[in-house]
Parts: sequence; structure tokens; C-alpha cells
Amino acid sequence: MDWLSAVSLDGLAAVDFRWLGLVLELILMPLIAFVVGLGLVLMLRKIAARLQRRVGPPLLQPLWDIIKLHAKETQTSHGLIHEIGIVMAIGGYVAAVTLLPVPGMNGLAAQGGLIALLYMTMIPSLGLALGVGQCANPNGSIGISRALTAMLAYDVPMVIVIFGVAFHFGSLNLVYLIAAQQAGGIATWGIVQMPLLALAGLFALQGMLGKQPFEIYVAPAEIATGPMVEMGGKFLGGLFVMQCFQLYTAGVLYVALFLGGGENWLTFLFKVFVVTAIPMTIAMVFPRYRTEDMVRLFWKWPTMIGLLGIAFVMN
Amino acid sequence: MATSPTTVVDQLLAGLHLPDGFDAVAGVIREFLDQVTNSAIWTRYGQQSLEWLIGMNPVDRLFMLSALTLLLMLLLGRLRSAGVLAVLLYGAQFAALLSTDTLFGAPLAAAVRITVADQSLHWSYDALSWFFAMITIGTGFVTAWYAAGSWMRRYREAGRSARAFHVALALNCFGMLLLVGSADLLSLFLGWELVSWASFLLMALVGGPAAQAALKYLAYAISGAMLILGAIALIYGISGSFEYDAVVAAIRSMTDAQVWTLLLLLGGGFAVKLGLLPFHLWQAAAYAEAPGAGSVFLGAISARMGLFGIIVFIVGMIGVSRLMTLEIPYTFMSSRELIAWIAALTIIVPTYTALQQHDARYLLAWHGIGQGGYMLLGLMVGDAVGSAGGLLHCFNYAITQAALLMAVFAVVHRTGTADLNQLGGLVTRMPLTFLVLLFGIISLAGLPPMAGFVSKWMVYRSLITEGMPLLFVAAVVGTLGTILSVYKLIHNIFLGQLRVEHQEVAEAPLSMLIPMLGLSALIFLAGFIPGPALSWVAQVQGQLGLPVVPWVLGGIVDPRGGLDMIWLVGILMAGFGVGALVFYGFGGRSRRVHQLDNYAGGHFLTADVHYQYSDNFYAGLMHLIGPWYRGSFRWLERSLAATLDLVSFGAEGLYRLAQPTLLMLAAAVAMLAWVL
Amino acid sequence: MTHIDQVPTPGAPRPVEIGVKPGTKRTNPFARVFDELVRFAQSRSLFMLHYCTGCGAVELPPAMTSRFDMERLGIQPMVSPRQADILLITGYVSVKTLKRVILTYEQMNSPKYVIGICSCTVNGGMYWQSYATAKKLNDYMPVDIYIAGCMPRPEAVIEGLRGLIENIRTGRADAWKDYYRRYDHYLGNQQRLFGADWQTPTDVIAEARHYDLFGPATLGAHTALLEQHQRPLEALEMRIEIPELMRRRSRSDQGGTAQ
Ligand code: SF4
Repeated sequence: MDWLSAVSLDGLAAVDFRWLGLVLELILMPLIAFVVGLGLVLMLRKIAARLQRRVGPPLLQPLWDIIKLHAKETQTSHGLIHEIGIVMAIGGYVAAVTLLPVPGMNGLAAQGGLIALLYMTMIPSLGLALGVGQCANPNGSIGISRALTAMLAYDVPMVIVIFGVAFHFGSLNLVYLIAAQQAGGIATWGIVQMPLLALAGLFALQGMLGKQPFEIYVAPAEIATGPMVEMGGKFLGGLFVMQCFQLYTAGVLYVALFLGGGENWLTFLFKVFVVTAIPMTIAMVFPRYRTEDMVRLFWKWPTMIGLLGIAFVMN
Repeated sequence: MATSPTTVVDQLLAGLHLPDGFDAVAGVIREFLDQVTNSAIWTRYGQQSLEWLIGMNPVDRLFMLSALTLLLMLLLGRLRSAGVLAVLLYGAQFAALLSTDTLFGAPLAAAVRITVADQSLHWSYDALSWFFAMITIGTGFVTAWYAAGSWMRRYREAGRSARAFHVALALNCFGMLLLVGSADLLSLFLGWELVSWASFLLMALVGGPAAQAALKYLAYAISGAMLILGAIALIYGISGSFEYDAVVAAIRSMTDAQVWTLLLLLGGGFAVKLGLLPFHLWQAAAYAEAPGAGSVFLGAISARMGLFGIIVFIVGMIGVSRLMTLEIPYTFMSSRELIAWIAALTIIVPTYTALQQHDARYLLAWHGIGQGGYMLLGLMVGDAVGSAGGLLHCFNYAITQAALLMAVFAVVHRTGTADLNQLGGLVTRMPLTFLVLLFGIISLAGLPPMAGFVSKWMVYRSLITEGMPLLFVAAVVGTLGTILSVYKLIHNIFLGQLRVEHQEVAEAPLSMLIPMLGLSALIFLAGFIPGPALSWVAQVQGQLGLPVVPWVLGGIVDPRGGLDMIWLVGILMAGFGVGALVFYGFGGRSRRVHQLDNYAGGHFLTADVHYQYSDNFYAGLMHLIGPWYRGSFRWLERSLAATLDLVSFGAEGLYRLAQPTLLMLAAAVAMLAWVL
Repeated sequence: MTHIDQVPTPGAPRPVEIGVKPGTKRTNPFARVFDELVRFAQSRSLFMLHYCTGCGAVELPPAMTSRFDMERLGIQPMVSPRQADILLITGYVSVKTLKRVILTYEQMNSPKYVIGICSCTVNGGMYWQSYATAKKLNDYMPVDIYIAGCMPRPEAVIEGLRGLIENIRTGRADAWKDYYRRYDHYLGNQQRLFGADWQTPTDVIAEARHYDLFGPATLGAHTALLEQHQRPLEALEMRIEIPELMRRRSRSDQGGTAQ
């Protein structure tokens, strides 16, 4: 809040870089997140294609998809909440990415911290869930019920990981976490200091991204893509935008927790792409887990690994 | 200076410590009051009684107004306008409470005191009392408003007594005000009994399953009271006095074994009211089956009286640091961890029981039990942020739960059912009620930007910084369960397909909507600007001798990870703005379609077949955890019932001996107090 | 209920002028560029709903997977009609199936394209004499591309899709507008086949009205027949009806007279 007092005290002369810089960051961060997210989506589809020995989509395919969907001439809405749901899904992530520090831009990372970020990313899910509910399609409701169950499954190891990292560095502040990791090169990275937690985190990441084997909530042949069943046109387009943000958020969060954040944009993006590529590569060689099996799996292995990791961290 | 309503209001507003921007509001109020004071009726009667009221001791004034409410409801409760009168009276109580200025000012003793057999009962208000009394009267106020109009008309039409309801509500408020103002063990016990019986009255009003649940509650409450009586006896045996100062000194001089006994007695007694595991089984049915507005009151505040007791004795007098030194023999746990774990289990078990409910009222009542765990957990962590979070959650939870229950009972009012499998799609018919429920569930689940997020965030944070991983995971698992269960709540009532029989349902009546919307606004504001509520909590912490939370207007400042809700909410709203721009600005025009124009694999949907997913909503999860419940819950309930039988058998005997005399004594004392 | 004989026979398909209406002609060069961009995006991103009715479906897996890989062209399979751009009819359509196909088509969001794969969709193919199959798909919905053959090889399928892409990019693939503009014609054919009480849960006429896609032959004898028995399909609008306020308003409407 110091910039605010500066503004009010010194008048216009004090409207300096910090003010403008922050506004600029708040505009730039979601934009960058979107663009990087498009790249991540492309990468995922390319990986899937290469693993299936296909060529895969062209470079701008994710963008064409989104433009096409928004440009649909007739759009089917099931009511106000259906629309608000999509707005919340996009808006929640736009807000969440400003809490994620990237090289040179800290945004609002200091005002929220890890827990606020974690809960902020639940807002889009809630919005989506509301929107899907209004569609009055049981396939969608089943999808949401499974997605929420999945969240219950992967968030348990996820919060264990977050606890461990926050406790290890003694802070919830992402900016501080990154600075602490960068202080001593690779040796102070989270992944070196807390390998078990990093492993559990990777596991949780797989669930968070909703990729195979944990994509029972989409299950195209069974519940017709679940939450997406009644989403067409810009509704689906909004979800595509949300997916870009989601991939970006998950990737950047993992990088910030374990890989020392980004020293510069090059290494930062490299890390983010590598981290996101891992779940996708795993995903393509697995079939699907049932909901209860997924819960059982997440509450068993990654949770145990995570708790073990915490035991090491706390001693 | 002559006292006039204007000066009174000025004083009240000064006592509130509002930011400067509220001057304009105050001006409007002042202008209105000036008009009132110029009227003839005012100059004849108003001025005199006002001066008499002003002259009183503020705490006495509060008690007097509360007793007056009770009396008037007893006399006039049958009248049609009694509801409005009650709202005004609760409003007056609220004003009286503010005028005590015991939150930021010094504690204030009531002038009334009763002397019985050389022991004097007296009352005094301090920051803690103020905090709980504020929640109590506030809840009473909104409840009375909710009940004042259409709801009460329906209640009467069902052949029920409006007077009984008004009296029960007023009695509850009165009892709670006495309890939170108690300044010695005897007045505490008097207040405790009054509260217990008053809530029994409110629960049992409508008979049937409600009366059954209320009787079950009574069995628990009586055994709880016995435990507390035992604790009082123990303390008295050591200190030789009922005064709190003597009690604190006595506790300090107690041996560990004695403190343990005290802890078990007091903890057990208060835990019953709070619904801590394993004494939680009575609460859901008793609260859910109470008549709508009564359920709102009970759900929002009643169980917190147990927490109040725990705060006064276990947090305030024994102290968390003493708890930490009390090791449980043969384990590596201290008593503080034991209580914290009980709190954590109280979060998890009732929350996941709520997940299985298919009656909206029961679902919320079970969550009410679970949320009590967060408060206790935060207090047991005991650091500045954690205990502030626990205390703040009392307030945040009260407004949240009141709004939620009001919304659910508004749906019941309109559709006649709270069965989650028989509703659906009501958002198009009751959009404002939907909004209220939405704000409520976001807050209950502890998601930004609503009030519940702030207090839960504080609890999480303290668990992290104090290094309690398992409790932290337990708290988060509780939150996740809450998210699942509240989504089911809002989905099954408001989303999905609208049923044919609900096509013509109207929005909730205005008299019910206004308090609902007011509470929703409060939920949002308390999340957006948590500063004022945090300032109250900071005062309470200071008075209890706890470390004081470093609060600012937007939340908490801390270099190692603070929270600024103004920023967070601001950026969230900005994000929604961007989302709306992307969605509405860059997309083609949309057209709303009928709910039967829906994908069903090529099937033609018709209105006579429900196309809705509501029953066994989390089927996949239940495949896994369903069996866990059934076994453990049946076992728990059976073993508890057996224990309870045994205890009640013993307690009954004791109670018959000890209780009636004490109660009669208390009643006589109360009568005398007002006569003298 | 109206008897099938009372369904008027649809006239011969009349060519209807379809294209950009004079009022909406873009003169702004930026808007032209924008339109071009949108059309390009539309042509390079096609979500396909394959309604695998007949034998032709077996040719799709090779077209989708590593041998021919449709995703190169931006085409990928989707699941529900709301998400899809292309409705792929892969072979003969029985009368019963056709009902579902029509519902699915109507639930798709425009611009939408129909591809009929296999000779059976063109003229009934070897099921010409069957009492239970629809003969010409474009009697019931506008078809953008037919890919003939019994059955066409994946190369032909890809070729057909390329043709569609080209049509979309140049703005010629607007057969979907025909469904709105000559709804009466299509509805008539549907009524002949399914009976006079035929109705889908979608409201094509209201949609045409909403999006200004009304044409000279949207309404006619058949839509009049539809209206006779149509269940109402207005969306459930959100309404805030607080009884107290409503009463007050209605009272003031009546000039203060007591109710
Ligand atoms: S054209 Fe031949 S292959 Fe295709 S559906 Fe007809 S019979 Fe089958």
C-alpha cells in the first residue's frame, strides 16, 4: 500500500513508475499468460500427435479455435448463470495470474500469497460449475460432480506440498519463495531441497490439469465431455481461454515452488514448458481411472510421499 | 447538554469509529431525527423516557431493553404487529449495546447485582462480551425481521402460536446477553441454564420430529450442565469464591491433575453446546427441525455459546500455554493438541456427514457443526493470526449461516420442501434468493471474495507458520468437503431443470428478502474490507491476553505473507470485468433456449420426464468413502447412545437432587432483581 | 391430430438468393480484413460431429489417425452438437435415425456444415428400395458437400474436407442459412416422413427471427401446421417477482382502486 500513500501525499508529482508500473503489470500479466497458455495448448496437442505418430495441428491452431468459436453466428445460452459462469471462469484466472510472479513482474503476489492463490484458482472452477449447472443437462452435472471429487483427490497432496514449501522457506509469499530459491543457484531450488515434495507435487499437477489418466470428468464417450456438453460457440471458446490460463497457472506455480521461478524469460519459459510437458507425456500412455480409484490413488501414494517429504522438511 | 435523539445518535456513531466517509449518512439520520424531535408526541413523552434511559448504566440499559422485549412479546406477542415491534426492540438493543462502548472502552459492570446466601451474582461487559452480544443481537434482529411478515403469517395459518415463537426468541437473546455478560461463576451458570432451556423452547415449538430432536438435545444439555456444575464445584472448592479473579488465581495454583479434571469437565460441558465430537449428534436434527426463523437464529449463534464458555475458561483463564504443558500420559501429545485434534475431527466428520444429506436444512445444520471446529482450531493454535481467525470466524460464520438458512427457508416457504431431490432450476424463479445462497456458499466454503475466506485463511496461515501439517491438511480437507457439499446444495435447488410443479413459483416475500439481501451485502463487505471486524477481534484478543493480530483495513500485514482483501477483491472484480469483456464483447450474440432444447444423445426431451442429476450426487466418491461412514457412524452413535443412557441414568438422579432448587433460586433471584 | 394426408406436399426446391444482405455490406477496409480473418479461422478450425449411421464410419479412423491425420487441417472430433461445426453423416439414414440427425443438426450452432459421406446419403444407394431409409439427405437439411462412393476411401474424405475448407474460406459454404430461409420446405419434407405432429425441441423459427435470418420461405403452410400443435418453447426467463412489489405496482396501475 505504500504507493497509495505516496500518491495522496505528494500529489501528481508522485504518480511515478510504481503506479504506472503496477497498472502495466496488471495488464501485461494476463496477456502474457494467455499467449504462453496458447503455446502450452499447442505443445500438448503436438505431444499427443507425435506420440500417436501424427503431424498434429499447425502453429496457430489454438488461436484459430478460439477465434472461430467466438465468431459463431448463433450461440446457445441456457440463461444468465450459464453466461456468468463463463465470465467467472475467465475472470477468476485473469485475477489469479496476477498473483503469480514472473521474471520482472511481481504483480500482486505480495498481497495474496500461496493460499490466496490456491483458493483464487477455485473461483473459475466454481464459476464453471455454476454455469454447467444452469445448462440443465445431467451429463454436465455428473461431470462437475466428478470434477469436484477429483479436486478433493488431488488437492490433498497439493496442500501438503504447499505446506511443506511454505514451512521450509518460512513464508507464504511467492516473491520471497522465489528469491530464496534463486539465492544459491540450483542447490537452493525446491526440487533439490525437497525432492519428495516435488514428486508429490508433480503427481498433483497431473490431476490438476485433468489429463489422462485423471480425466474421468470429461469422459467423452460416456457423459459427452461432461461439463462441456452444452457449451458451444463463445461458451466453449471461453473454456478454451480458461484452459490456456489453467495450464499456465499450473506450470508457473510448479516452477515457482520447486524450480526457482524464472531468472529471466528464457529460462522461465523453458521451465514452464518442460514442467507442463511431463504430465502430457504421461497422459498419452495411460487409460482412464474411475473416480473412486483416482481418489484412492491420490490419497495413497502422493499423499504418503508428500507427508514423508514434510517429515524431512520439518526435521 | 440536553439529551436528544440527535446527540444520542452522535454518540453512538462516535462509538463506532467509522471512517470519515460516513459523515453524509450520519447527516441524513440526524435530519430525520430532528424532525421526530419537533413532533408533539415526542416533547410530551419521548424526551422524558429518553432522559431516563440515558441516565442509566449502559449495561443495565441493555439488560432492561432485552427484558422489556421479552415482556412485551409475552404480553403482545399475539398481535399481528408484534413482529415489527420485535424488530424495533432488537434494533434498540443493538443501539444500547453500542452505547456501552465496552469494545474500545473499559469494561463496564452492571449496576444490578443479586446477593444470594452471601454470594453475589453480577454482570459486566467487556470486549469479549460485546463481540458475542453483538452477534447475538444482530442475529436476533435479522431473524425477527425475517419472521415479521409473510413467514409469520404462514406460521400462524398452520395453527401455531406466534407469541410462543416471539417469546422463545426474546428469551434466547436475553439469556445469551446474561451469559456473555456474566462476571462470576454463578451468573455464568444462571445464564447457561437460561440459554439451554430457551433454545430447547425454540427447538420444541413445532412438535413432531422437532420435539423429538429437542428432547435429545435436552438429554445432552442436562449432562453438559452437570459437567459444568461439577467444574464450578471443583473451582469453588479450591478458591472459595465464585469471582473470576479468585478463579483465575485458583486455576494458577491448581495441580496438573486438577487442571485436567477441570478441563475435561468444562470442555465436556461446553463441547455439548458447541457440538464438538463426539457430542455432536444432537445438533443437526435439533437445529434443522426448528421453525424456519428459529432455525436461522439457532444455527447462526446458539452453538457459539459453547465456544464462548471455552474462550472464557480454557483460552482466557487456563490459557493455551498452560494447555501445552499438560502432557497426556504415555503419548507425545499435549492437551492443546488433543483439543486441536478434536476440533479438526469436528471439522471433518460433520462436514462429510453433511455431504450425504439430501435435506437442505440438515445439510446446513451439519455444516454448522463442522464450522465450529475451525473456530476452536484457530483458538487452539493460539498465535495472533490463528486466534484472530477463530474469533473472526464466529462473526463471519454467523452472518453466512444466517443468510444460507434464510435462503433455504425462503425456498421452503415457496415450494414447501427442502428435499434436495425434489427441487431444481429455481434460479429463474427466485434469482435474488439464489444470489443470497450463492454469496453464502462462497463464504461458507471459504473462497474469496467473501467473508468466510478471510477467517479461514487466517486459520490456515497460523497452522502453516506454527508448523502443524496434519491439522492443516485436516482443515483443508474439511474445506474441500464443504465445497463439494455446498455445490450440491445450490445445484440441486437452483440449477438444473425446473420442475413442472415449480413453474409458477414466485420470488421470496419482501419481508424475508430484505434481511437476506442485507446479510449478503454484509458477507461481501466483511470479505472486501475485513478491517472493522478485525479491529473488534483485536480488542477481544487484547482483553483475553492473546497476542494481537496486526490488522489493517484490508486484512493483515506481514512481510512473510500477509493478506490484503481490498487488492484481492479489486483484482478479482477487474478479472471478472475482463472476462465479461471477452465474453460479451468478442463473441457473437447469444440466444436463450428452452431447457428441453438440450443434448440427450439425440433423444427428444419432454417435460414429463425429469432430466436432472441430483440423487447420490457424489456417487464416485461415495463408492470409496461410503462404507467408511456407515461402519464408523453406526458404531459411534450406538456406543454414544449406550454411554448416554448410562450417563443420563446417573445424571437424572443427580439432577433431580441439585437442579430444581437451583433453578427456582435463579428464577426467584431474577424476579427480585427487576423488582428491586 | 392432423392426418398425414393433410400435410401439404412441398413444392420443388426454389433457389433462394442467399448472400450478404445489402445493409450489412462491409465497406470499412478494417472490417473486411477482420471478416477475412474470421473466415480463415473458421476454415482452419473445424470441430466434427460424426454421426456414424452407416458403413462409411469405418473410413473415418484412418482419416483421423496417423495415416492421414485430419488434425493437420485443424479438424478434430467433438462430442456434442453444441460444440460441432461439421455434421458428418456417414452412410444410410433410417427414418428413425433421421429424426435424431435433424435434432442434432438443429442443436448445432451456425455456421454449421453437413457432409454426406457415401452414396446412400446422395440418393439412397443400395437402399433405394428400402421402406425405412431416407433417400436424399438434402431434402431434410442443407448439405454442403457430398462425398460419393460405396464407400469413399479416406483420401476421398480428406479431399472432400479440403473442398469444404476452401468453400468456407471463400465464403461460399453458407448452405446453413438456407435452412432458416427455406425452413418451410425442409419442415414439409420432414412432416411427410414423420407425420404431421412432428416437432423438435428446438425452435428454428424463433432462432431465425432472433438472428435476422428470416427469408421469404421461412414460414409457410408447413410451419402453420407446426404451430397448431407446437408445445411452447420460450426460454425460461429469469424473473424477479416479489409479490409485495407486484401488488403495489398493479394497484398503482389501477389508479389507486382497492383490489
Ligand atoms: S454407400 Fe455403401 S458403404 Fe456407404 S452406407 Fe451405403 S451401402 Fe454402406
